[in-house]
Amino acid sequence: MEQRSGSTWRMTVNEKKFIEDALVADLRIDGRRPFDYRRITIKFGREDGSSEVQLGETHVMGYVTAQLVQPYRDRPNEGTLAIFTEFSPMADPSFEAGRPGEYAIELGRVIDRGLRESRAVDMESLCVVAGKSVWAIRVDLHILDNGGNLIDAANIAALAALLTFRRPECTVGGDNGQEVVVHDPEVREPLPLTMHHLPVAVTFAYFGEGGIMVIDPSYKEEAVMGGRMTATINSNGDVCAIQKAGGEGVVSSVIMQCLRIASVKAADITSKIKNAVDAYNTERALQKVKRQSSSVAQNINIPDVTMKESNDDNASASNQTEMLVDEPERISKSEVYRSAQTITASIGDSTKRDKDTTMIGGPSNWDPYSKGISLSLIRSPKPLAGPVAVAKEQNEERMTQNPGEPNPEETTLPNSGPVESSDVSQRPSSPKSLKDAVKPKNRRKNKGAKNTS
Amino acid sequence: MDTPTNLVDKPVVPGDVVLDLSTMANQTIKLGAGLRQDCDTISAMKAGKLRLSKPNKYWIESSQKRYVPCVEDTVLGIVVDTKPDNFLVDIKGPNLAFLPVLAFEGGTRRNIPKFEIGTLIYARVVKANSIMNPELSCTDAGGKAAEFGPLKDGYMFETSTGLARMLLSSPMCPVLEALGKKLSFETAVGLNGRVWVNASSPSNVILVSNAIMRSEFLSGTQQRIMVEKLMDRLQ
Repeated sequence: MEQRSGSTWRMTVNEKKFIEDALVADLRIDGRRPFDYRRITIKFGREDGSSEVQLGETHVMGYVTAQLVQPYRDRPNEGTLAIFTEFSPMADPSFEAGRPGEYAIELGRVIDRGLRESRAVDMESLCVVAGKSVWAIRVDLHILDNGGNLIDAANIAALAALLTFRRPECTVGGDNGQEVVVHDPEVREPLPLTMHHLPVAVTFAYFGEGGIMVIDPSYKEEAVMGGRMTATINSNGDVCAIQKAGGEGVVSSVIMQCLRIASVKAADITSKIKNAVDAYNTERALQKVKRQSSSVAQNINIPDVTMKESNDDNASASNQTEMLVDEPERISKSEVYRSAQTITASIGDSTKRDKDTTMIGGPSNWDPYSKGISLSLIRSPKPLAGPVAVAKEQNEERMTQNPGEPNPEETTLPNSGPVESSDVSQRPSSPKSLKDAVKPKNRRKNKGAKNTS
Repeated sequence: MDTPTNLVDKPVVPGDVVLDLSTMANQTIKLGAGLRQDCDTISAMKAGKLRLSKPNKYWIESSQKRYVPCVEDTVLGIVVDTKPDNFLVDIKGPNLAFLPVLAFEGGTRRNIPKFEIGTLIYARVVKANSIMNPELSCTDAGGKAAEFGPLKDGYMFETSTGLARMLLSSPMCPVLEALGKKLSFETAVGLNGRVWVNASSPSNVILVSNAIMRSEFLSGTQQRIMVEKLMDRLQ
């Protein structure tokens, strides 16, 4: 006796007959026309390379990660791409946790074929050291809600995630040119993947004797359909992959018609994906601008902190050189600036090495932007007011007004300019001499009042 | 009688004490779904609205997507299997329900109806408790057919139990009224959250079903406006 719980959805003969009858009259049960897609929403997560796509009621999440691995022996200078799918049981009562079912494997394979065989992702740019280490890109697709047409939604999620993914930059160095140094994303801007084109999957469902077809079948239409075909096409009209696994037979003229319709739809979807990705990148760039200033400001301010503490010079000098060695990729101007700082006579220092490290790369215990520095300060023709104000606030926070020190903001003034602009606007300019910078200390308080306003 | 509780028609959550029996002596109270007696108090077990039917019937109305079978509910079931003695019918509850092959008007061993798997049946719940499979019948209490039985053609969709109750409420719900003014259609609503719609043309069926599906969280006026907009779009 069947005691299955009532959570599995069952089809009635009435529905099957009605869906087919309505399709004869070109009507679909949710009011769409036969070649209409449902509404597509593309959202991005906080991390680079995570996307969330909603196609009507279908909900898919994509997530891209990268790792350095050894390449395959027959392709020593190409990276690898792997697609993993996870059909969560919350998406559909028929999905079971654990081993992927047949449909899950088919979905992963279709998306993989569309991306790999059409060479959508540039594999050779992922090579770091030929034969030794390449980047392996892994795309995880999580199905959150099955509302029909998982292949299309998952494909859009994979594309959106790949377009917004950033891999860490790495340089090859060391003695034999084989050592790979992976740079922290905070230190060096991570790089996007090179995508040559966007293969978009368009799924058709066939009903009746193969005469009626619709695009983007919903859950009930999928249960009633006789066969399904997925065509992966890019906006140039190149067919990247076609998948028709079983089901009703269709004439070749119908297939050609489907491909024509699919290329139109693919162009439409490609533009939607690109718009969403552009909006995300703009927002990200805006955030990046702020972050760059803050990390540069931190470097400049460390000597400021050291000045206040007034410990012995030797320790400070050694600290400075340590810092120089540790970050060989640091912009040369900042190095110049720092060595200039060590020369300046009355620089005290902070022997707290760990304070230096905590400041570089992480605004952990103080965030200059918590006081709300506007971008205009940073971008103004005196681009020095930004970190200067930061330094001023830093001084205020510490509440040590050591009169014996040279004005921190004055010293930062000329040199933070070139340092910062080399990050932000790439304007090279030689650092002015510190003599210009060191001004009488009683001017500091006025300047400070001006800057923090 | 003074209203012993001021929570009638208000939302309650599990644990709320809705009635204090010590203040009411010598009264018979009938408790419906979602209420439970704890010595001297009646407390709520489900989240929903407390309802009172004068003089003394209290119950809690809530809306879920799953259905808990109750006696005398009219439900829409889908035939899943046929056995010699009864049909196994899915009514969206935790267990499959049994529909005896003889529970039809004039049903004898000679004229047992033949239902294929997937037939939609409008039936009445006769027995329901948490231990056994529920039992259905396609006759009313007097043995007459009274519209029960298989439903032909049309389109069935699933809703929450709250929407099903709203569609069956006694001053007709605004969305059905507004639709009925312009279109002619027939519906069968199951309290287990299934609605069947049939009309002369598929476009009318699609229009009615989409209008009903969207009307769950709208107020009366909003429902009428929505129906008007849908009609305008189609004409």
